[in-house]
Parts: sequence; C-alpha cells; structure tokens
Amino acid sequence: MRIKKKHQAGAAKNFITRTQAVKKLQISLADFRRICIFKGIYPRAPRSAKKANKGSTAPTTFYYTKDIQYLLHEPVIQKFRDHKIFARKLSRALGRGDVSDAKRLDENRPRYRLDMIVKERYPTFLDAVRDLDDALSMLFLFAAMPASDKVSARVTEDAEKLCNQWMAYVARERLLRKVFVSIKGVYYEAEVKGQEVVWLVPFKFPQNVPTDVDFRIMLTFLEFYTTLLQFVLYRLYADAGIVYPPKIDAAKVQGVGGISAYVMEGKREKESLLQTSTTKKAITESEMASRAQTISTVLNKITDHAAGDVIATPADDDDDDDEEEVTDTLDKFTALPSTETVISDIIPQPDETSPEDIVKTLFSPFTFYVGREVPLDIVEFTILSLGGTVVSESVLDGYLHVDTDALPDAEEVDFDARQREVDALLQKVTHQVCDRPALASRVPGRIYVQPQWIFDSLNRGRLVPVDEYAVGATLPPHLSPWGDGAGYDPEGIGKEEEGEESEEDVEVEVDEEEIEVDEEEEVEEDEALQHQRELESEAKGIIYSSTTSKKRKRPDKKPKKSAEEKQAEEEKELRKIMMTNKQKKLYNQMQYGIQKKETRRETLKIKRRKLEKNKQNKKRVL
Amino acid sequence: MAKRKLAGPKKPAAKPQTSAQSTGNQQGSKLANVKGRAPRLLINDEDEDNEDEDEDGYIDDEAEEAEEDELEDESDLEEYDGEDGISEQFEGLLDGAISDSESEDNAGDEASEGDGEENNAGEEGIFFGEDVENEEHEDVAEVITNSVSDDDEEAEYLSKYSAASEAESLSSISSDQDDSMVAYYTTGADGKPRPIYHEIDPHYSSDDSDLEDMNTIGNVPLSAYDEYPHIGYDINGKRIMRPATGSALDSLLDSIEVPEGWTGLIDKESGADLKLTKDELELVKKIQLGENAGDVNPYESTIEWFSSKTEIMPLSAAPEPKRRFVPSRHEAKRIIKIVKAIREGRIVPNKPKVRPEDEQPVYDLWADDLQEQQPHVMHIPAPKVAKPTNDESYNPPEEYLPSEEEITAWNETDAMDRERDYLPRKFSSLRTVPRYENFVRERFERSLDLYLAPRVRKNKLNIDPDSLLPKLPSPQDLRPFPIKCSVTYRGHKGRVRAVSIDSSGLWLATGGDDGTVRIWEVLTGREIWKATVGDDDEAVQSVEWSPVKDSGILAASAGEKIFLCLPPIFDDETEVTGQELLAAGWGYAAQPAPVEHINKERQCNWIKPSTKLASQGVDVVIVCRKTVKQIAWHRRGDYFTGVSPDGANMAVLVHQISKHNTQSPFRKSKGIIQRAQFHPFKPMLYVATQRYVRIYDLSTQSLTKALQPGARWLSSFDIHPQGDNVITGSYDKRVTWHDLDLSTKPYRTLRYHTRAVRDVRFHTRLPLFCSGSDDGYINVFHGTVYDDLLRNPLLVPLKVLKGHTVVQSLGVLKVAWHPKEAWLFSVGADGTAKLWTS
Repeated sequence: MRIKKKHQAGAAKNFITRTQAVKKLQISLADFRRICIFKGIYPRAPRSAKKANKGSTAPTTFYYTKDIQYLLHEPVIQKFRDHKIFARKLSRALGRGDVSDAKRLDENRPRYRLDMIVKERYPTFLDAVRDLDDALSMLFLFAAMPASDKVSARVTEDAEKLCNQWMAYVARERLLRKVFVSIKGVYYEAEVKGQEVVWLVPFKFPQNVPTDVDFRIMLTFLEFYTTLLQFVLYRLYADAGIVYPPKIDAAKVQGVGGISAYVMEGKREKESLLQTSTTKKAITESEMASRAQTISTVLNKITDHAAGDVIATPADDDDDDDEEEVTDTLDKFTALPSTETVISDIIPQPDETSPEDIVKTLFSPFTFYVGREVPLDIVEFTILSLGGTVVSESVLDGYLHVDTDALPDAEEVDFDARQREVDALLQKVTHQVCDRPALASRVPGRIYVQPQWIFDSLNRGRLVPVDEYAVGATLPPHLSPWGDGAGYDPEGIGKEEEGEESEEDVEVEVDEEEIEVDEEEEVEEDEALQHQRELESEAKGIIYSSTTSKKRKRPDKKPKKSAEEKQAEEEKELRKIMMTNKQKKLYNQMQYGIQKKETRRETLKIKRRKLEKNKQNKKRVL
Repeated sequence: MAKRKLAGPKKPAAKPQTSAQSTGNQQGSKLANVKGRAPRLLINDEDEDNEDEDEDGYIDDEAEEAEEDELEDESDLEEYDGEDGISEQFEGLLDGAISDSESEDNAGDEASEGDGEENNAGEEGIFFGEDVENEEHEDVAEVITNSVSDDDEEAEYLSKYSAASEAESLSSISSDQDDSMVAYYTTGADGKPRPIYHEIDPHYSSDDSDLEDMNTIGNVPLSAYDEYPHIGYDINGKRIMRPATGSALDSLLDSIEVPEGWTGLIDKESGADLKLTKDELELVKKIQLGENAGDVNPYESTIEWFSSKTEIMPLSAAPEPKRRFVPSRHEAKRIIKIVKAIREGRIVPNKPKVRPEDEQPVYDLWADDLQEQQPHVMHIPAPKVAKPTNDESYNPPEEYLPSEEEITAWNETDAMDRERDYLPRKFSSLRTVPRYENFVRERFERSLDLYLAPRVRKNKLNIDPDSLLPKLPSPQDLRPFPIKCSVTYRGHKGRVRAVSIDSSGLWLATGGDDGTVRIWEVLTGREIWKATVGDDDEAVQSVEWSPVKDSGILAASAGEKIFLCLPPIFDDETEVTGQELLAAGWGYAAQPAPVEHINKERQCNWIKPSTKLASQGVDVVIVCRKTVKQIAWHRRGDYFTGVSPDGANMAVLVHQISKHNTQSPFRKSKGIIQRAQFHPFKPMLYVATQRYVRIYDLSTQSLTKALQPGARWLSSFDIHPQGDNVITGSYDKRVTWHDLDLSTKPYRTLRYHTRAVRDVRFHTRLPLFCSGSDDGYINVFHGTVYDDLLRNPLLVPLKVLKGHTVVQSLGVLKVAWHPKEAWLFSVGADGTAKLWTS
C-alpha cells in the first residue's frame, strides 16, 4: 500500500486560500472581490483551519475550491480582462492626446451583463424573491443618497426608479403586511409570492456618509442588486399583468415624485394607481376608464391568458380604480358602509374573513388627507397598500398655486376649475393625518389621527381606536410587529399587572385564610406576636392601617414554593452532578441563553413596575 | 597691540579704507587696489575684537589722550632700557618703531581728517596715493636690508615688545592667566614683574594653523604702512613683508615690442624665426577643430528638381496612368456596401445616443420555470438580518429606555463589544425623528459581512435542556440515606479534625485542634470522656477505633506521637481484654531486638505514658520522628499504619500492637504520602501519594497497580468494602471512582464541589458513599457495584447535606459512616461534629 502523503486530500484539497485563488484566476484582487460579490462566493470556515492550510496555523481566508474552479470559465472574468486591456488602450490614447481615438475606444468599451449570474445564483424565481431583503435595503439607501463624487447622480436616479417601481407594485398588489417605524428608518414587510420580504428605508434626509466606507464595494453590490431587482420586477409585473417598465407621469414627478408618478399600465387596462388630484387623469377619470376598457377588451382577447385570475374584474366595471382592484373581496362585505364618513369612535370592523384579506382592504373605504408635515413617502405607501386613497396637502398646494410662468406649455390655467375639482375631492376625505401639536381649525366630519395610527392599524390587522392617536395626544408606544427578542410583551405585562391588582383587591382575605391553613402553628404564634406589636404601636400612636398594610404585602413578595417543587429542583441539581463534561458545557450554554433572556425580561418588568408606580404616585399627588 | 588699542575706535578706522580704495581706483594702479582690499578683509574679521575693546572703555573721544599715554609709555620704555643697561643695539630700531608708530598715527590722523572732507578731497586722495607709492619704493630697499641683516633679532625684540605691551594692556582684563603659558618674567616699566609668554606655535590641531600670515594690524588703514617694507604683523608679532610687485619687470616687458607674426618658433629649414600670417593661423585653428579646411559653403541654397512646374524636358517619359482619371471601383464597392446597410437599417445615420445600460433588455429570466431544487450541500445561504425589536422603535414603551448607568456603560464599551449598535430613544411624534447617523455604515458592514465573513453552518440544538440531564433512579427509591442533621456534638475548641465511630456504633471519638480526644454518646450527644493528649495544644490529627470487637482500643495521633488509649467507658471485661492486648507487647520490647530491628527501634519508640496521660486512659505511646497525620487499622486489629507525609521513606510505618514493633515497608521515598489503608480483606496496602494511588501486595511485597485519578493533589481515598472499587477525593475539587477491574484511570470523574474535597468514605454495609468538602457540604451518593462484571457501577447522587459552616475557608474535614445504620458523622472547622440520619 502506498503511503499517503499529507495535505493531498480532504480539507487541504477542498479549501483554497484567497491568494491561491487570485493566482489561479489570474486577476487582480479588486477584480476578485467584484467577481465574488457578483457570484455570491464567500469565504468558508473549515472545521480545522490547520488541516486546510496544510499544517500552518496562520490566520487565512479560505474559499471552497469548487467555487473558484467554476469561476475559471466565468465570462465576466474574461470581460474584466478585456476591460484591463481597454483601460490600457484608453490611457495610452489619452496620453497621446488622440481624442477621437479615445472617444471611439470609450464607446466600444467592453460591457458585461449580470443576468446569467442572477439566473445562476437564483435558479428559480422564488429563490430570487427570498433573497430580496438586502437588495431592497441597499437600493433604498442609494435612492436616498446625495449624488457626490463617489456616487453619481445616475446611480441614485436608477436606484430611486427601481425603488419606486417596487413600491408601486407592492402597493398595487396590496402586499404590505407590516410597517415598523424605528429610529433607523422604516421597516416594511411584504408578502411577495408567499415569501416574506423585509426591507429598511431610511428617513428622507441627506445621509451621513462616513469617510471610511468603501463605495467601490457598495457600488459593486448595487450593480448586482440593480440587475436582480430589474428582472424580479419584470417577472412580478408580468405576473400581475402590468407593463414593465411602468410609464412615469411627468406632471406627478413635478408634484411629489415617488410612487404616485408611476402609471401602472395593465396589459389589458390602463389605470392610474393613484388618485391624488393633481393629474388630469384623475379629472377625466370616467372618460379614461371607458377608453381603457375598450383597449382592455381588445387586448384581453389578443393577449394574456397567464394572469387569468387577475382578470377577475369584468370589463363593465366603471367605478374607481381601487374598487376595481378589490371587487372580489368587496363582494363579501355587503354590509360595509363604503364611503360614509365615520365620526364616532366605534369603527365598523369588517366581517371575519382571512386576516390577509382584512389587511388588504383595511382602508379601502377611506380617503386620507395627509398634512404637509407628515412624511408623505411612508404614509402614502402604507395607505395605498391598504387600499386607501391619499390626498396630499402639499400636492394640492402645488396644484392650486402653480406658477404659470414656470410652466413650459404656457397653457392657460383655469384656477377656478381647479378649485372646484379640489373642493370636490376634499368632500370625500374621511381621515386627516396630522402631525402637529395642535390644529387651528377642524373640518367637521373628518377623523384626525397621527401617522402612527396607520402603522399600528396595519400591524394589528384592524382599525385601532382613534382616540389615543388624536392630534396632540401622547401616543401609545409603537411596538415592533416582530415582537421583542427576549420574549417580553409590554402589552401582556400591562394586562397581567391589571389582573393582579384586581385580584389582589378581591382576594386579600382569602389569601390570609390560605396562609392560616398552610402554617397553622406559625400563624398562631404570629398572631400573638402581631397582637403584641399592634398594642405597642397603638401605645406609640402609629395608625393601625400602616402596620397592617405592610404585613399584608409580605406574603406576596415571597411566593413560597411547594415542597414537591423544591424536591424536584433539588433532584435536578443532583442529576446535574452526573452529567459528562460535554453535556454540562452544552447545558450551561443553553442555560446562559435562557438566563440572559430571563434577566432581560425581568429587568424590563421591574422597570415597568417602577414607572407605573411613579405614575400612580404622581396621580395621587395631583 | 598698542597701536590697535589706540586706533581702537571703529569709525575712523573703517572710513579711511574707503577713501584709500577710491583713491586707488582713481589712480587705476593695481597696487592701490591690493592695498585697499586686503586690510578690509582683515578688519572685517577683527571687528568683534574692537568691539570688545570698546567695551573696555576706549572711546573715540579719548583717542588723543591715549596718544599721549602712548608717548609716555615709549619714553618710559627708553628710560627703562637705559637704566637696566640691556644691550643698546635695539635702540635705533626702537626709535624707528616709535617713529613708525608716530608716523602711522599721523597717517591715521590724516586719513581721518581726509575722511571728513571725503567729498571734495579727490586731489588730496590722489596725492596721498602718490605719496604712498613713493614711500613704497623707498621701503622696498629698506626691507631688503633690514630683513637680511637683523631679521632674527628684530623678531625677538618685537615679540618681547608685543608680549609686554599686550600683558600691560590686558592686565586689567586677564590678570590671572595660566602660569604654564609664561616662559619667564621680566620687570616691567612700572617695576612690576611682567610675564613673557612662549611663542605661539600654531600646529595642525590649532584653529589658526591655516591662517598663517594673518595680518593683525586691526583696523589701522594699510596706507599707514606705505612707507615701510612690511604691511603689518602676524599673530606672533612678526612683520609681514610686502609681497614683491612685478611692476619693474612688467614695465620692462611692456617696453619690448613683439614683431608681426611672431610665434616664438624657429623654422627648422631656414633656422630663422617662423612667422605665420593671419590666414595661416586661421587655417591651423580650423584643422585643430577638425573643420573643413577647404573653401566650402555649408549654407548653399537648394535647387528644386521636382516641382509643380511642367518642365520642357521631363525626367520620366511614362504616360499618365488610367487610375488617375477613372473613379475607383474599390471605393464604389465600399459605398455600395454602406448604402445597402443603411437601406437595410443596419446603419442608422445620426442615431440618437442611448445609454448602454438602457440598452440592456429586461426579459423574463425565469421563463423556463425550473422545479425548485435542493441547493448544493456546501452552499450556506447568508443569514438574514435580525428583525427589529421593540427597543428600536421611534416610540418604544418607556421601560426600554436606557437608564443613566446603561447609557454610560454603553458609551464606555467598545463599539465591537456592544450588544446593540444603538441606544433606544423615544420621540413624541414622527416629525421629530432625525436621520440615523450610522445608516450607511451599517449597510456597508452588512455588505462586508456578505462577501468577506467566513460562513460556517452551525446546527442549533433545538432541544429541551432538561433532556440533557441523565436519567437516574429517584433518590426516594434508594432510601435509606442520611437526610438531616439530628445530633450536633459541641465541645471542641477550634477545628475538629478527626472522627471515628466504634464497631458497636455507640461511641463517637473525635479529635481536634485543641489537643483533646473526646468520646461522645452517639444518640444523646453527651461527652463521655476526654483526654488531652497533644502537648502544647498540638492538634489531634487522627482518631481511630480498633476494629477488634470489645477491645475498646482507640488510637489517636497528635504531633509525632501515637497514643493507644483505653477509654474507661466500657465494662470491665472489655477493659481487661484491651489491656491484655496492649500489654502483650511489652515483653517483646524488653527482649533484645534482632539486628534488622535496631534501626526501626530508633525511628519509633514504644514507651509507657507519663502518669498524667496514664491517668487519662492512655496505655501506650509510640513516638515517631515526624507528625503522624493519619492512622488506619488492619481489619484484625493487630496492625495499624501511621502516615507522616514528611517522613520520606519512613512516611508509612506499620505498627504491630502484639509485639510493640514498627516496620517500615518502603526503602525509598515514594513522594509525599497522603493516605495509607489496608485492603478490607486481602493482604494489600493502598498508599496514596499526591498523584497516584499505589496498591502493594504485602504477601509478595510487590506493586500490583498504580491508579491515576488525574488529580493534581489527592486528599483522601477509600476502598469499597468488596475491594475492587476505589474512590478518591482531591484538593482540585474532583471525586473519582475507580473500578480496579477496568483501568487505572477513573471510571467517572465528578466535579460538583466548589472547594477542595477533604474526605471521601464508603459505607461498610450499605451501597452508600459520601464526600466532604471545604465548601461545607457533604454529598451523599448511592453507589451500587454489581456482581455482573459487564455492568458498570451505578452512581446516583442522593443528597447534599448542608450544615457545617465554613470557617477560614475550611468546611467539612472528615466524615465517618455508622457501621450499621445509614448514618453519617462529620466533623468540621466550625468546631462541631454532626450526626446525619435518614
């Protein structure tokens, strides 16, 4: 038998260090990084670094050898090499001052496409949807970034466009499930094709750009994510029967921008997603609808049978777009007073159907008038996703007080007509979203809420009482729809506490009886002692109630464990002795985690109690 | 020097030079130039010296006074010379010197006067210059004669003179000069001794070695020396002679006229002077430079042979080719191609530019809907970002807000170590929420994680932690075992170190740090008997009842002594048997010991106790050499071992009661011995050192086994009553169970005590064992050993007995089982013994 040589098989073969990989691929380290980001190749932690590194224990990054081997035939790497040559030629041309040559070279610079890489990384569409989280977060960040020398304006524009397309899709399909406004930004969760997609959107402020952030890496990621999202959106739009890329309404871009400017053009019907009053489309609504129907009917016959279930809306539907979207669900709630203004706090809750359907149509009867101070991007997206209609104050202002000189068309603006339209629109408003400490005047018939009401309603899946969210009111805490990491439930605690208190009031006497039963002798002694003490305190002039109250609280503080429990615990401790070291370590690790959560829960509970006590004390003082 | 002193003032010194220079320039002679420049350089160097002298009090206004003084000095000098009668040969010279100085002074004065009228004193200057020149000529002759005749003498004198004057002038400044510098003393003019210094010898290391001929005349104008053959004095006071000027020779040479074409060469052929004409010289120069010597014009004008002009006689007679006037077919082909391409739409002229990114078509990438397949085994998908929790909310419940301490703690911890990368904050409304500063950074770090962080698959155990606990029979089913403390025996002062229960189970013997051995009635806790055996409060280290029934012998060790007692608590019969047993050996001791016993006699002496001890019930005292820490009886009660860890090879001694004899089983030291014990029924001795438990067969006198408990320092061990299992306790908190049939390594190592384990014990009848530790607890175990060799012993922890208090980090020191019942006795550092019953 031949003697086996060391480091010829196993981990030593399966793993390759980064330097070796770079040498093998014959590309620069920067290119290696790029290709790794594109192809989703990541370092591995071999079980034994020493074995993988052929006996050396120096800290090294390992890649899986097969990953690198597949890269050898990657066309994008060939493009990288071409680019290197191109860069050399270009620099030479520029150095010689051959401008025309340089221009020609630049026009024919080698370009690569990442679509096949996307396909490789995500063989099925669901894989791609599943991995959208990071892509969306990155794109939304770049959409909010200021254009600088590091990030070109084109990049931010593209990112913004894609983000808006995504939001328009989610809002149209009513896929939004959760919203959470955190200090970092706004988290959204959408359910796309049965997959949960969570992304984070920064607040609309210029971002703080640290100097030590390497934008080459970020932009490489962005490049891939852009491609990914483009294809995913194409597919999603196609599945939903909408034309991709959606057209952009120029008038709306001037107004608010954002998703309201995207005209979701169905393959059968033309429809505007939004109904902000600024567009002429909204004004000539019925006319548009009728025309769209004709087109749609034609198209319906010619094209599209893939999205058959979406075509559920028949062509004779002549009403509002939103209703058009949800007719199949709306059919079920016949009792719903559709656009009636609801003044009272008692909000008619829809009948019991699946919770998702409830969420989808939660706001469908409502029209929201969004104040100027409210971040429109968040609120608009959420309301639209819940089937509501948005009328924005800032957009209305722009529409009514438009600067005629600035208009390029130099058409004559009929302000009176516009005013009439707006008035008609405002008639429909049921809710006003307002984020001011106080309001000067209120329109009767409107419900005034703070923006958090919208988020909480979505997260709860029902319309929460409005009174807590009134203008200027102290808001109830905004809780994460994903709960607390340590399993602490602030609301549950509140209820528990209340329950305890109420029980305490009732069961004081009962408690005492129980104690008497438990420890008869002791209690007898105690009673004698207590009597003695009472007498003494009476002599000193202390009020009876103060002494008794103290005494009554005592048993609550130390909940006595039953003898059986004690014994069981003791036995458990004893059994721990017989554990092997390995088991003991594992057990202790588990206990550490459990303990950590437990302590966090406890500290939060204690804090809560303290705060409540303080509140009560304050109340009493008042 | 004197001159310098007089001419010290700076301004008058500087200006004459300029005048001299100007005059020189006007005259145009070389000499004046030289004279004008050289002193200037020197004076520049000496400016600092002059300043120093200024500080010494020589002011411009006092110049005249100083002059007078000088004259006086000179007259003094004359007198002095005359009086002393030193050779008069210098007299003339001296006069000369005086006149020199005078004339120089005058010249200086003149110069300074002239200086005042500088602007319109051109003629004077010229005159002055001429004067200088004239004098110069005279001087040359003088110099030659002087320097030849009495150069040496003059030098000597001058040195003396300069030294003397210097000493005088500097007397106020440097009165205390180094004596070693002084060659000899003469009497000065004022009658005081005057040091004469050695001549300064500038060598290479000295700073002045390269300035050999430095003129030291200071800022005296050089014109003052015009009349003299010298131009000043060097550092030694020697005259610097005026360099010879070539004026005479030059004038001679100038006067000779060079003939035309004169080369200074001789024509070899004719022998006459070789003369070259100007042209000839040019030619020679050209040849030297390698130029063309002939008559060639390098700047000839060009003639255009091939021009646009049609020549009457063309160079070539070929006819014009056809292609010159027929349209190109090749070009036509190309144009047709382009036209075709345009027509077909392959080339679009003036196509609007499109961004290459926009060109990329978007299509349905997943058109061929693949079945979802299992990802590759080695693929590890990136973990998703953790979902935000309540504390990240812009309006969290108030209990989530960090307290002051939490904020400071968060700020102090390193950014890497923080559990969360943000502090929870509460905002009253949505409009007040600011941007998040670290947004870009966090996204960046996430992307770094995605492509740089090594991924590893970690299986998360999703099990109930309690399922890890071993399944054991319930302690309730394994009763009886000690549960509670029923009797506490109090009386000892200080720690109780030893405990033993007699074979009947009625009498408990204890020994402690107070040097007493006490016997207690087990059930009542009454102290029956007490004997103080330790001298000077020596601690009783060990107490053991003899296993012989109804003998009532108690062995106790304190210090180096072992006491064999017969406590007077038993009936007479027992006492008699005991006394007989103990007394039997005295005879042997009286007999002359065999030779090999002599040595041993020396190590241990069996002696009779003192009367005091005897009255307390002690019958025999064995005096050893080192402190005896532990006693263990053989099952028959005739032998017992005493262990003194410091005893080297005498650490384990076997004492025989019947013969009052002591044997040392080991020749060599086996390390620090902790414990020694006899096998329950075989002739074997178990000896525990710090690391090992060694088992010796006494019949063959050989080592049969060495157990390795894996502990650093064993404290105790015990042998199972059936003999093939051993438990050990160690100071490093471990208790090990050894199955002798299995291995020398432990079958189980248990670590449950938080402090050192002091003692471990098997029950002699019941399947129980226990360990006592410094943490004050006693752990009771069930330990069944099966007869079936294939079954491992069953160990079940039964109970933790808590009762002893820890004193000075010492807890339970010794334990002992009741011989029949499941009762346990323990003694501890708190000075008590306790009985634990079931």
